[in-house]
Amino acid sequence: MKILKLILKLQVSILLLLLLTVSGCKSDFELNENLKGFSFTLSDQDGKTVKFPADQKDKIIVVGFIFTHCPDICPLTVNNMQLVQNALKTDGMDDVEFIAISFDPERDTVALLKKFAALREIDERNFKFLTGTRKEIDSLMSVMRIVAVTGDTTMIDGSPSYFYTHTDRISIIDRRGFLRKEYPGSKANIEEIVNDIKKLR
Amino acid sequence: MLNLIIGFLLLTTVAPKVEVLNNWMRPSSKDMNTAVYAKIKNNSDKADTLYSVSSTLAKVTEIHETYDKGGSMGMRKVDFIVIPAKKTFELKPGSHHIMLIKLNQDIQKGKKYTVTYKFRRAGEIKVEAIASEKAVENSSKMHNKK
Ligand SMILES: [Cu+2]
Repeated sequence: MKILKLILKLQVSILLLLLLTVSGCKSDFELNENLKGFSFTLSDQDGKTVKFPADQKDKIIVVGFIFTHCPDICPLTVNNMQLVQNALKTDGMDDVEFIAISFDPERDTVALLKKFAALREIDERNFKFLTGTRKEIDSLMSVMRIVAVTGDTTMIDGSPSYFYTHTDRISIIDRRGFLRKEYPGSKANIEEIVNDIKKLR
Repeated sequence: MLNLIIGFLLLTTVAPKVEVLNNWMRPSSKDMNTAVYAKIKNNSDKADTLYSVSSTLAKVTEIHETYDKGGSMGMRKVDFIVIPAKKTFELKPGSHHIMLIKLNQDIQKGKKYTVTYKFRRAGEIKVEAIASEKAVENSSKMHNKK
């Protein structure tokens, strides 16, 4: 009899859980993927070691993927992240972390990332540019479903020149370390991201 | 009669066959790359073709287009762009652009840099593009050179 009651209780809680999940789907956030277990060791634009996303725990993170030799798409993505940062600052929200990760670590050195940030007058207090070893970047990319493939390499003045065809993306991770939503990086709607961040607070 | 002649002269000088307007480019640094954007206005009643762009700013200058393949963005070189009669073609972010590969110098925000567009009919048009993070509305001066 006791066992029967337990089973009934269990069923009720499963039902409740299911209901919660269903209502969760109806929200503005299509994703709910736990990234808490991951800790990728990378370097920021000042050469400091950053464990992503472990070091940013308890904060909302806006993540973008870029390579600095990119002339058109990636600057748009970074600019969109900067616009979100500015909008949040205007609303008095500075507890959000902005992170642009390079999928071209062979060329994107710490010094180059620093230059890229300075050129765009990025407020680096809560905006980091990360690079790392090829292996670490590759595993991070696969976790976040980012694909970047190089095109033909041409030699210009004795040094190789190549570009990536890549996933165009900005993602947000909530305070619990869960990936919640993805946007088309270069074409992202700033207002939508800002509103989503406010809902996640 | 004199008025008519002056009027005619004004008309021809005011509206050149092709105009390259709203010229801007993204700030960048030496050895890196950048993209140049503009509005190309064809005032003539014949189509014109942009077949080349040159500049001393970079080792390589090419006409490019950005494409979206199922959420993956890439770029490719295009050989020319046809601007139909009485139409405007826009070189803009996420679309067609002039690609400067391996810059010889830094491109600093707020400064102006010379780029030369070459058209089949209208000839060479030299423009000054301002370095900016987003499109400029005012058109910079241009010199028509045949
Ligand atoms: Cu290009």
